[in-house]
Amino acid sequence: MIVFDNVYFQYEPEGIEALCGVSLTVEDGEHVAVVGPNGCGKTTLIRHINALFTPSKGSVTINGYDTQDAGRRNEIRQMIGMVFQNPDHQIVGMTVEEDCAFGPENLRLPTGEIRERVAEALDRVGIAGLAGRNIETLSGGEKRLAAIAGILAMRPRYIALDEPTAFLDPVSARLVLEMIDKLHSDGVGIIHITHNMAEAAGTERIIVMNKGSVYFEGTPQVIFRNVDKLKTIGISLPQITELLIRLRESGLPVRTDIGDMDGAVSEIKGLINK
Amino acid sequence: MYHTGFYLNGTSPIHRLDPRVKLAAVIVLSMVILCVKPPIVILVAAVCLCIVFAGSIPLRIIGQAVKPLIIFVGLIFFTHAFFSEGEAIALVNLPYLNISLSRNGMEEGGLVALRFLCLIVAAVILTTTTTPSRMIAAIKYVLGPFKRLHVPVDDIAVMMMLAMRLLPLLLMEKERVETAQKTRGCDLQGKRLAVRLKAFIRLTSTILLGVFRRADELALAMEARCYNRGERTAFVELSMRKTDYGIAAVLIVAGGVLLGLNSFI
Repeated sequence: MIVFDNVYFQYEPEGIEALCGVSLTVEDGEHVAVVGPNGCGKTTLIRHINALFTPSKGSVTINGYDTQDAGRRNEIRQMIGMVFQNPDHQIVGMTVEEDCAFGPENLRLPTGEIRERVAEALDRVGIAGLAGRNIETLSGGEKRLAAIAGILAMRPRYIALDEPTAFLDPVSARLVLEMIDKLHSDGVGIIHITHNMAEAAGTERIIVMNKGSVYFEGTPQVIFRNVDKLKTIGISLPQITELLIRLRESGLPVRTDIGDMDGAVSEIKGLINK
Repeated sequence: MYHTGFYLNGTSPIHRLDPRVKLAAVIVLSMVILCVKPPIVILVAAVCLCIVFAGSIPLRIIGQAVKPLIIFVGLIFFTHAFFSEGEAIALVNLPYLNISLSRNGMEEGGLVALRFLCLIVAAVILTTTTTPSRMIAAIKYVLGPFKRLHVPVDDIAVMMMLAMRLLPLLLMEKERVETAQKTRGCDLQGKRLAVRLKAFIRLTSTILLGVFRRADELALAMEARCYNRGERTAFVELSMRKTDYGIAAVLIVAGGVLLGLNSFI
């Protein structure tokens, strides 16, 4: 379990607070989305989970290990994989398999086990065929999958993804989202930062951040019921929710707390059947 | 598209040879080529050429590698040709300077240039037939004994890997910034030196800023994947096959024969 207890963080000693009084928990195997406007502290928040940043005040514990404890950081980082926003900023290897092996090499695993983990991770994200390819010859989507495979090779219990669909075309973005769903169904906890509320709608819980604190949180249904609150901080709703709101405003008695296509289809079908 | 290093995919015997053998051969060749007599230099050059063909390395690639250094090689040749003592075959009268082209100087210049070209070709053979990761593994192996002297061999290997990975990214960044500045009217090819200098400073400062930002992010990403200075295990494991031992033995014998011949000539 990931626990943030009244966490404060400043980038510079006298600077503005990037996190102010954040308290939240993420259960094992949970799929959580973190949304919020630019500069609200989303990236700072997930960098605390991986112990890349440590709180100025308060504490972050991962399965009971405090991130301030330098002796436990490797265990924490092994437990929580972190996928950066830009794969070019994360990939260090020259070929897909070499990059995938970087984490296990750091864990000082024997060569045989490294090879086994690399093969397994590449297979899990569906890019086993690209193992020997030079990173520079990959498309944006393939690079993102390679970055995820590099994390999976460390066999983490949670994965924190910083805007995993940023800069991707719709087809590649769908591929990455399907991969995330698959990992979640395999029992990996997911912390997914996104600007796209339609992506957040597919998670179990949404944490809305604003100005360094948790603005409010809840299931997607709870979040979409608070349209005004979201609009106040400049977060736009999924198009499908906007459509349902318009339908309701025009007199149709539809629910407006739905953010995904399947939910909207069954709601409208139900209405037609009535 | 920029690719890492010069590696050319292939399955030739030179490609398959253990990189440690290749690296050792290049190191030995670099030392030997400088001290052997002219006939042996010619023999080594012929052997290098044979290896180029055996490794299926296109001559175009050799040409590309030699091209940036051709002025340097030419300078070596002409300096020797014009400034060495010996029988003059032509006189060049320049204001304040009378120099003569000597046969002896030309031979000497040609020999030094050939030695230099042999070194370049050997380096090209090594880099075009060895993947960067196997090369790093070989260097790590060669540096292995220095671990006892607290030389951070694993860190050096990671630094080399990062350099190879970041070089193409740096070139891409340069191209991107250059294009962005050109589209906003920046004159990078201006005729006036002051204008060009100003544009150059603007370009390099933007690139450097981007590089530092990227390096910062990369360091965090490495930390996130449990990177700590010190010992690491490796995905690429080198193992010597019988053929590798055989070729290493042949190289040792050939080296011995060449040195023996050198002392008789």
